Amino acid sequence: MIEVKNLVKRYGNHTAVNDLSFTVNRGQILGFLGPNGAGKTTTMNIITGYISATEGTVTVNGIDVFEEPEEVKKMIGYLPEFPPLYPDLTVWEYLNFVADIKKVKKSARRQMVNDVMEATKIADMRNRLIKHLSKGYKQRVGLAQAIMGYPEVIILDEPTVGLDPKQIIEIRDLIRDLSKNHTVILSSHIMQEVNAVCDSVMIIDKGRLILQDKPENLSLHFGSTGGLKLVIKGNKNDVLNELKKIGRITKIEEKESLEEGTVSFTVYCKEDDDIREEVFYSMSKNNTPILEMQSIRMSLEDIFIKVTQDDAFINEDKPEVYEDKTEDLSSSADKEEVSNNAGDL
Amino acid sequence: MLAIYKKELRSYFTSMIGYVFISLFLAIIGVYFYIYNLVNRAANFEYTVANVSFIFVLLVPLLTMRIMAEENRQKTDQLLLTSPVTAADIVLGKFFAVFTILFMVVAVISTYPLIMSRFGEVPYASAYASLFGFLLLGGAYLAMGLYLSSLTESQVVAAVITFIVFFITLFMDNIAKSISTGSKSAFIFFTVLILIICFILWLMMHNLTVSVGTAVVGEGILLAIYLSKPALLEGSVIKVFNWLSANARFYNFYMGIFDLSDIIYYLSIIIIFLFLSIQVIKKKRWS
Repeated sequence: MIEVKNLVKRYGNHTAVNDLSFTVNRGQILGFLGPNGAGKTTTMNIITGYISATEGTVTVNGIDVFEEPEEVKKMIGYLPEFPPLYPDLTVWEYLNFVADIKKVKKSARRQMVNDVMEATKIADMRNRLIKHLSKGYKQRVGLAQAIMGYPEVIILDEPTVGLDPKQIIEIRDLIRDLSKNHTVILSSHIMQEVNAVCDSVMIIDKGRLILQDKPENLSLHFGSTGGLKLVIKGNKNDVLNELKKIGRITKIEEKESLEEGTVSFTVYCKEDDDIREEVFYSMSKNNTPILEMQSIRMSLEDIFIKVTQDDAFINEDKPEVYEDKTEDLSSSADKEEVSNNAGDL
Repeated sequence: MLAIYKKELRSYFTSMIGYVFISLFLAIIGVYFYIYNLVNRAANFEYTVANVSFIFVLLVPLLTMRIMAEENRQKTDQLLLTSPVTAADIVLGKFFAVFTILFMVVAVISTYPLIMSRFGEVPYASAYASLFGFLLLGGAYLAMGLYLSSLTESQVVAAVITFIVFFITLFMDNIAKSISTGSKSAFIFFTVLILIICFILWLMMHNLTVSVGTAVVGEGILLAIYLSKPALLEGSVIKVFNWLSANARFYNFYMGIFDLSDIIYYLSIIIIFLFLSIQVIKKKRWS
């Protein structure tokens, strides 16, 4: 459906997109994931024909964006980073205008504008001027604009920015609904969103594709972390000594304890090792009961941070990087903090 | 194009802009009409039209400053440029919408000669010829303003630049009158002009060969003309200045001269600036 080949975009000396290639199949939801300035928006702007590429080709349904932009634009609905709204028009006037420039037939226009307003839940705002709408409503009007005319491809640049949690869920449902008949590309730096909505995730950093896979498969690229979070009742040194006796543990991190009289640790072992039983019996024998035990699974956040922070990974040095980390007993104490913050990204 | 035209026109009237401008135009023209025709008891409506033509310099920059600049700033150009409309559709739709505002004004004031006719003989031909010229002159100014607005994201910058450019065109014919007609001064003038053009070329392309080449070729041709047929250059500077003066040709209409070349002049100014605006939009994609 969409085929991007060796896309390069340079602004003077700055390379925004660097040799990006990927394909999106019909009915798929592809998620672009990447930190700010990774080239997500630039890539989307190129696919939609808003800006040109320095090198490379983009085809939609076999039609080249650079050769026949008007044909391709007919097939694409685009919600840019800032919803392109006219503040002086009412919602209804605006959507009518959008239907008009997207060549929706006059007879079908009224019905379609109403349907789209229903779908994005803005029908009750139809007679308000856009400048009087809240950020969330503006975003939804922008989304309504993108799906107007029901184009085959819908491209959404951070569609849920500025929405409240309930609206986010609604919009995600809407996007999932849309994917039944449309191909969707969306960008985000919110991991849960990509996890919840997309069939396929592309992680982009510094204009380069780092990896592409299904969200559930992403962690396979790194193996499981093999670790446990523990909250144990007892004396710190006592517990630590006992834990150190377990040979299969490769790394022990101490955490701040939240409860009086307890200690918290994160322990790591080899990837495919299961040390839960051993830890349990050892603590039981030591008379320091385990209050909480939780296996660490690598979340999308962890993967994202790992991928975009490790320059080594970009050089395809994946296994080594991973081992470096596990053997390093001292310096990765801040890992936990980093992954806690990842949700705010 | 029609979609953009309708939307533009609607937004002139959902915001205050449309009403404010039409009433401002009409108020100023009304004052002139009152002074020139009613107080002075002249039947020639063209007096009013000729004297009031300066309002374009004041009002058009304010009317056109937002046309493209606001789209650039609000990022709504992204909607237009990713929709199946061409750059020409966008520019023409916007131009005709703003021209419609002007047309409404002219439609209202075209009834003034009819009102006057109740009190005596009115020379309709020159009155309506001057109104037609007024419309063409306005169209040319609007096209220039639209082009200058497409160059920037800031309405204020657009308004100021447009105002300066209009001001220069307004005084161009006065400047032309005071310029020497000799072939030597023409030679110096064109030399400076060629150098300026080459400097702009260099700024745009950063290509030394092209700009120096243009300078050498241009200067060579100029020198050849100057040496072989200096008569060709005599008075040519004035011609250039007059050509640049949008107002000079308007006075032909005012004097009742309905010259086809004047109409073509204004139409070509409109077409050139609309064409340039289209290029600005297209260029944005490639820069």
